[in-house]
Amino acid sequence: MEKRIEVHHLTRVEGHGNIIVEIDSDGDIKRVEWQIPEAPRFFEAIVRDQNYEYLPFITSRICGICSIGHTIASIKAVESALSIEVTEQTIELRKLALHAENMQSHSLHVGFLVLPDLFGKKDVIEVAKENKELVKKMLKIHKLANRLSDITAGRTTHPVSLAVGGFYSFPSVRELEKVKKEIEDCKKLLEEVSFEIEKRIEAFPDFSRETEYISLSQEEEYAFYDGSLMSSDAGYLNGDYIDYIKEYVVDISTAKHSRHARESYMVGALARFNINSKFLSDFARHISSIFDLKNPCFNPFMNSIAQLVEIAHNMEESMDIIDDFLSKGIKEERISKVKPREGRGVGMVEVPRGLLIHDYVMDSKGRCKRANLVIPTNQNHANIQKDMEKLVSEVKDRPKDEIENLLKMLVRAYDPCISCSTHSLEVKVKWKG
Amino acid sequence: MKPRVAFFDFAGCEGCQLQIANMEDEILKLIEIVDIVSFREISDVHSDDYDIAFVEGSISRPMDEERLKDIREHADILVALGSCACLGGINKMRNRFNEDELIESVYGDKELVSNPFFNIHRAKSVDEVVKVDYYIPGCPIDRDEFERFVISISSGKKPELPNYPVCVECKKRENPCLFDEGKLCLGPITLAGCNAICPSRGSPCIGCRGILEKPATECIKEIFQRYNIDYNELKDKWNMFNFGDKIWRKE
Amino acid sequence: MDGEICRLEKDDFLAFVDNLINGFETIGVKEKRGRFVFSHLESAAELRLDHDVTILPPKKNFLPPYEKMIKFNVGEQKGELLGDNTKRVIIGVHPYDIVALKQMDMVYMEGRPDELYKQRRENTIIIGSDILRVNDFSFASSLGTHVVEDGFDLMLTDLGKKVIIEIGSERGREILMDYARNIKEASDQDIKDVENHRKALPDRYKVKLDIEKDQIPFLLMDVFEHPLWEEESKKCLQCGSCTLVCPTCYCYDIRDEISLTLEDGERIRTWDSCLLPDFTKIASGEIFRKDKSERYRHRFYRKGLYIPMRYNFIACVGCGRCIMACIPKIADPAKVFNTLSRRKHESKGKLVYKMIEGVEADSRILPEPAVIRRIEPLTENEKLFEIELLSRDSFHFEPGQFVEVSVFGVGEAPISISSPPSGDNRFELVIRKVGNLTNRMHSMKEGEKLGIRGPLGKGFRVEDLEGKDLLFVAGGIGIVPLRSLIKHVLSKDNRPRFGKIYILYGARTPKDMLFMDEMEKWKEVDDVEIRLSVDTCPEGMKWNHSVGVVTTLFNEIEIQNPKETVSLVVGPPVMYKFVIKCLEDAGIKDTNIFVSLERRMKCGLGRCGHCQINGIYVCREGPVFRYSDIKNLPEVFQ
Repeated sequence: MEKRIEVHHLTRVEGHGNIIVEIDSDGDIKRVEWQIPEAPRFFEAIVRDQNYEYLPFITSRICGICSIGHTIASIKAVESALSIEVTEQTIELRKLALHAENMQSHSLHVGFLVLPDLFGKKDVIEVAKENKELVKKMLKIHKLANRLSDITAGRTTHPVSLAVGGFYSFPSVRELEKVKKEIEDCKKLLEEVSFEIEKRIEAFPDFSRETEYISLSQEEEYAFYDGSLMSSDAGYLNGDYIDYIKEYVVDISTAKHSRHARESYMVGALARFNINSKFLSDFARHISSIFDLKNPCFNPFMNSIAQLVEIAHNMEESMDIIDDFLSKGIKEERISKVKPREGRGVGMVEVPRGLLIHDYVMDSKGRCKRANLVIPTNQNHANIQKDMEKLVSEVKDRPKDEIENLLKMLVRAYDPCISCSTHSLEVKVKWKG
Repeated sequence: MKPRVAFFDFAGCEGCQLQIANMEDEILKLIEIVDIVSFREISDVHSDDYDIAFVEGSISRPMDEERLKDIREHADILVALGSCACLGGINKMRNRFNEDELIESVYGDKELVSNPFFNIHRAKSVDEVVKVDYYIPGCPIDRDEFERFVISISSGKKPELPNYPVCVECKKRENPCLFDEGKLCLGPITLAGCNAICPSRGSPCIGCRGILEKPATECIKEIFQRYNIDYNELKDKWNMFNFGDKIWRKE
Repeated sequence: MDGEICRLEKDDFLAFVDNLINGFETIGVKEKRGRFVFSHLESAAELRLDHDVTILPPKKNFLPPYEKMIKFNVGEQKGELLGDNTKRVIIGVHPYDIVALKQMDMVYMEGRPDELYKQRRENTIIIGSDILRVNDFSFASSLGTHVVEDGFDLMLTDLGKKVIIEIGSERGREILMDYARNIKEASDQDIKDVENHRKALPDRYKVKLDIEKDQIPFLLMDVFEHPLWEEESKKCLQCGSCTLVCPTCYCYDIRDEISLTLEDGERIRTWDSCLLPDFTKIASGEIFRKDKSERYRHRFYRKGLYIPMRYNFIACVGCGRCIMACIPKIADPAKVFNTLSRRKHESKGKLVYKMIEGVEADSRILPEPAVIRRIEPLTENEKLFEIELLSRDSFHFEPGQFVEVSVFGVGEAPISISSPPSGDNRFELVIRKVGNLTNRMHSMKEGEKLGIRGPLGKGFRVEDLEGKDLLFVAGGIGIVPLRSLIKHVLSKDNRPRFGKIYILYGARTPKDMLFMDEMEKWKEVDDVEIRLSVDTCPEGMKWNHSVGVVTTLFNEIEIQNPKETVSLVVGPPVMYKFVIKCLEDAGIKDTNIFVSLERRMKCGLGRCGHCQINGIYVCREGPVFRYSDIKNLPEVFQ
């Protein structure tokens, strides 16, 4: 029986993506496509000739959800190019901001975008009609994460306090004390939410495809702010990332695809879990045990569960950092004057959806000559395509609606950030005049 | 009857729509006074029958212009949401490059120009394509401003943007002026409504809500001299969100 | 020094402050990013009595930048006055700020005091402190505000190891006795040290006024049309900073804010600035003081002429805040006054300015409950509403007065009373739908509730009209307030008190004419002549009277006794010039001409500052004015 699936502008993902599947009357799969029609925005051109101080503010606008991540990656790239050192306090505050962003993004994804699929509803508002308490708990966790972002970065979307060399303003001891108490309260809520979600886990198919996972990794902690590239296939990838991560263009997508050792790889919470799970905090382990999530897990649908595990980890880590600040106090450190110089700098950071790289070449006046941005979702597009192909081959005989629903859930599981991934096209720019 | 409301996005980061999702429990109150009939980012629900359309993002392709014109036809009221939609915002920073130059790219041997996905023109604000009834500027929008807008429309009042600069809000919050710290802050010429969030955090205003009025040359001269600021700094900051040179105050 | 004077050693003083912090909400001067602010004190160690000047003056504690006045319920149109009766102590108020507070007290507590301001003021103890560090831009010594003799509960002079304290009130004495230990009586040396410190201050001021402060109003009257206003205001960013940081500025705007439920909300007041373009904007969109240079000039005139003539003090204390806050540095009153004085000869025109008699300052914030009894549509855009006040039996007012109509959730609007005084609790309003509130009223029904504040303003003084011939000239909607006086004068009891009555009324087109039916009845009253005209009569409309602007109607009447004729004129601003010329040509004295002017009236009580015509408040000295009083005011017929 001939089946044609066409999902135009998939709902409950960030950005615009289309799913096209054609199965002919013989049951042969003619076409499986993950299309990205999102308008490209040319950030790699926009940042050219911009002053180093504004690069983080500009690149933050690549994404509304992981702005803090982009800002920090941008700052790290500039600091690396200009050889700027920052204080311990700055690093700890940045880590705290990343934890906040991770919690915010994951709780938004699981609570708003994935939860409806677990309950067979159209959106979280419909879910709330029957499960008000569950939704309220997710909202509370999300609210806490926003609160923490507000006090560390000034604002969740397009942060205000983060700067090259340090911070423009600092949270007060009072604010930190207050938010620490809120985090404590939310740990309990996260556990309750996890139990509720576990009851519905059957909604995720038991799908598995051996995949290469890539993330940052280091020896001291579960890597977000700092680390080196690591592959689940090949171990540490030492040297320049550009030797390993190959980006290429496909005509069904305004976003590039990436590959390393295999035809595709995956980044994100599941990738980080598979590579760094030994560094997870106790509470995070507890949450993963509720779902029996073990390393390695090749089921992309479990990415959402890995996100819950990470929220738990973010909570405990945040509390540790806050305790440290409460005992040491916070200094209103001034940002030292910067001496611009020529050079290349690479900033790598783990943001909610995976590995993010900002790579800048700066000129002697402190302006950006050239930039390369490697976005998590770009790195996932090829893997989504491959996963789709395998999934369709496994379920092609099922009713059309069921296949469509499974494919939608598959894409959603990746938590794609499509606007980010269409930040640019490869360009050779001829200057006007 | 509750107004029916729909959200759409074009070329942007979706940060503005995220602010609405970030309304947390207030969302449950919001849906008591309006009916959200389309919000692709968080809901499967869609209907073409809406009264108010909120549009986020700039317009960069003919296929996007078509989609926008369609929305304009369906909506009684069209609201430009966020700086990309209101002014063109960050997206307009690429307008200094000619679009042919941008597309002169390396794609192996693929012919992309005929592909509608890749058919780009210069970034435009929403009102460069269709008529806009109201603007909610900001990068991202301020959640409270959005709430006030919805409350006004739902209670029969005409929403109005303030006609004064960020300095008014900054002074009411008793912030030390960043000019005194040697920083160029665009607050004095930027449209208020954000409650001076950036200067309150020690970060000079970058004019994301749009320029209220071009300052007089005498004024700029005075400021540059007095505070040791140079023209390049003003150009850098101005061109981030205001490359299109759209000015709010019509004289 | 009049009060009792004591001394505390430094440690004892700090202990005193810590005790206060434990007992009250204590606000003191703290450092913030290199500047100083009045803020909540956590410990005495934070207090910086050595500050030069704070960013915002302590007025923010009495008239907050953003203050919730009324909490209301939209459906029931019920509101209750909010307030703040927290007991507070403010430490570190410099003498010039105390002088400014005394000035604000005169404005906000004269007549019927502003309830919210009064409550905060009475619940706050002011602990002043002598200036230790002189601000680079301040010229307080030229205005004599570097020291002050009263207006504080306690006054501190921090001399390093010891703090000398002057007791300024019983309250001050009480908290000193209750919260301080080891209080010693000040020795003669202590008193001398304080005197010497204060005597030495004037020499430490870098900036001085070149003229005596009492001469400022006269200087300003000479230099109204001076090139300096244009020169300096070119650089003005219209950011409002100068007024927002000023201790003697107190204009505010009023807004209604509703919650997401649409059911409840708050009426708030928030600081406003006369420098901002929309400060004078009325519902129809019109703006007064349109030019940036006019607004720039207005601030100096308010400080140096208008307020001094009204209250007898110079409304500037030389603190230096505006000078620091102004980015292009054009706000400096000392520099401006000194320059004007030096370049006086360049003035191209003077301002003749004097105070006009007005009504007493009032202060009702909470509207009284009222209900719409009857609605009569008059034209496409105008409706007549009969309003009944629910909480009283009688409502006395003068024709020409107005009320502030309040709809909780929308706001307030000033509307002239259109019916004659009847002694009962009902009156009529004619409302044209222009803005948010008037549009809302047009969609309301009989029986719906709203709020009224009034009667407000100065109306037509009927006693002035007794025995005279009356010539009414109404342009467009100007007939509305005039109707109140006309019907009053034409009533059976009152008619004999007045002479001949002429009524000239012009509207744009026949369908804009109001009260045509009533006018038929007016015509029947003894010795009344009515002439009507329209600017244009479109094809097909029936019109039996004249066509032409209202001034053409003067040709249709003969004013028999110009010296004994009083004229009452109300209409759009553009009409006045022409009508007054006709009146003067007819021989009517300008002391016998009365007009009613419109401006943006928010509080209706002479405090919020929006209705200013030069220094006159339309809501207190008007809206009815004797023409001779205002004819020289440049801002009247803009």
